[in-house]
Amino acid sequence: MPSTVVERPRSTATERRKRTTAALILSLPLILFAAVFVIYPLASGALTAFQSSTLLDQSNEPNGIDNFISLFRSDGFAKAAGFTVGFSAVVVVIEMVLGFALALLMNRAFPGKKLFFTLLLLPIMVAPALLGVMFRLLLNGDIGALPALLDSVGLSVSLFSPDSVIPLLVVLDVLQWTPFTFLIIYAGLQSFPKELLEASAMDGAGYVRSLTSVIVPVLKPVLFAAFFLRAIDAIRTFDVIYVLTAGGPGTSTTTLSIYIYKTAFESGDFGKAAAAALVVLVCLIPFVPFIVRRISSTGMEAKK
Amino acid sequence: MSKVVDAYNAGQGKDDGVDVELTLLSRQDTFSKEAALMASKSSDVDIYFTASYNIGQFAPSLEPLTDIDTSAYFPVAAEGLTYEDELYALPLDVSNHFLLYRKDLVDALLSDPAAQAEYETVSESVLGEKRAPKDPAEWDLDDFKVAAAYFSKSENPDSPTEYGTILQAKNLLYNTMIWNDVLWGYGGNWEEDGQAALTSDAAKKAVELYADIYENGWTSPDSAQAEFPETQAALQSGDTAFAIQWSAAFAALNDPAQSPDVAGKIAIAPVPGGKTHVHALAVSLNKYSENKAAAKKFLSFLASTDAMTQYAEAGGIPPMPEVLEAQAAVNPAFAQVSKTIDENGFSEPVFPQTFQAYSKLAEDLSGAWVGQTDVDDALETANANLQELLG
Repeated sequence: MPSTVVERPRSTATERRKRTTAALILSLPLILFAAVFVIYPLASGALTAFQSSTLLDQSNEPNGIDNFISLFRSDGFAKAAGFTVGFSAVVVVIEMVLGFALALLMNRAFPGKKLFFTLLLLPIMVAPALLGVMFRLLLNGDIGALPALLDSVGLSVSLFSPDSVIPLLVVLDVLQWTPFTFLIIYAGLQSFPKELLEASAMDGAGYVRSLTSVIVPVLKPVLFAAFFLRAIDAIRTFDVIYVLTAGGPGTSTTTLSIYIYKTAFESGDFGKAAAAALVVLVCLIPFVPFIVRRISSTGMEAKK
Repeated sequence: MSKVVDAYNAGQGKDDGVDVELTLLSRQDTFSKEAALMASKSSDVDIYFTASYNIGQFAPSLEPLTDIDTSAYFPVAAEGLTYEDELYALPLDVSNHFLLYRKDLVDALLSDPAAQAEYETVSESVLGEKRAPKDPAEWDLDDFKVAAAYFSKSENPDSPTEYGTILQAKNLLYNTMIWNDVLWGYGGNWEEDGQAALTSDAAKKAVELYADIYENGWTSPDSAQAEFPETQAALQSGDTAFAIQWSAAFAALNDPAQSPDVAGKIAIAPVPGGKTHVHALAVSLNKYSENKAAAKKFLSFLASTDAMTQYAEAGGIPPMPEVLEAQAAVNPAFAQVSKTIDENGFSEPVFPQTFQAYSKLAEDLSGAWVGQTDVDDALETANANLQELLG
């Protein structure tokens, strides 16, 4: 029986032009939005990085790479970068592991699941700066509820002392952002093809084997997405740390965001702050295509 | 401030044909937003909130106030807002420091021979010499140190409080201002003849005083992250016997509603060492304002004793000795503020980078204040950075 092939009539040049015009018109709001809120600020910031722009000298004269030289000569930027990378690495790893574990737990039915789910998500509903203020009160050694509770069971801990402040900041970040990784991974688990698990069970695989050989490989794109989004956010960390420590004692908890903020708004050196922001951007950009490619390729593998 | 603005809009503002709108943010947010507005030469705001410590930095964006009679203000307040011989801001609220202490505990110490003997033992251990307890109004910085030890359980298990004092040691520019009292109290200064002077013996003693108190547990370990609110909490909770604190704190500590455990027990004395940083919170005219004539009318109103009386009644501390003395019933600290600023106040150097210097000193020294970094290294770094800012 001869097959029937229905051929679409070839579009004429006029029709193609019309479609292109329509596409452009429909994209116009997005292009305008990107131009006003992304491209212009980015270009303006990049331009400022090459200008003398301070509160004392508002001439905005081009000064070549002077801001970058000043940036790399000060050890504050390098210290802030070091702390940011270390802090981000630690919190993201912990949040990924805990988020994954919680997602696996919540993927099962148990009594009180809805309440637990709600409580789990509460920290990401609160603005980070507000959370910082809340922790400042809750953890205060004189009037805070947590130190009083610990004291009542014979544990006298000074949470804001130099020895404990960095672990404290890690714990608070994990407390606030683990729900974020949990939510993404949990959404992935919800759409997980159950046939795969049934098939692995029929093949005699136990839970751990199913987890490592089936669940993790299939969820790789989701795990990468959660890792990527969280890592970007961790590198931008500002609010809670600024409210609690203002980057101290000394500069021991100064993140890049705090460094940039202080350079711009305390030192009034907008050129140097813009240069620092540009350096951070340039350092991060190469990771974007790599991670996008990774997410896409693992997605393709999963489909295969 | 909002009450004063409301009063103006309802009264003289109608005659002037001016209606003032006020935007209130936190102190840090206000200055950050203003810095951004100034950088863009914005005319969005006619009058900026400013302060002695940022007037040098903000001056290029401000209009000098040439018609203001400053004779009613504390000279130190007006001096702190004068840059290159021009007044750039109208003083609105004066801030200085006091020693706020538990009078009941000090009185008990001074009236109990056994406690006095214990105090002398502590003094010998801390200073290497026997010192008898004194009225806090007579303390020098060594008395401050001994008393911090005596009122701490780590040194004196019978102490009625957990800690003698609380240091405001967070990496925050306002904490530099408090540490400066100690520096000035030991006879030091930021600079001498235009050269940074933070490697002096006085500067070393000032950092070491903080570090000794912190490392010996005579202040809460949490004071590494303390500023105004934490100091209030430490005093309000009854955990701490005394602290160097901002003048604005006193009324709240003796208010039974806000401080039920200590109200009526807190007294006020000059900062040990006899020096108190003084700065004025102020208002300035935006150089790029499109309503300068109207803004000047409001500024003239704020410069009047009537407006400053309203400001005092609303909880502020106006920088006019005459108003403070007349309003002593509003706040019992007013008389002390007036006397202390007159006798002990020092206005810190005003130069274009004063604001950065405060921040940089907090950054460079806060680690040493809490024993995290070496005192000499921290002071060398701070001195080099200050020299760069002094130009």
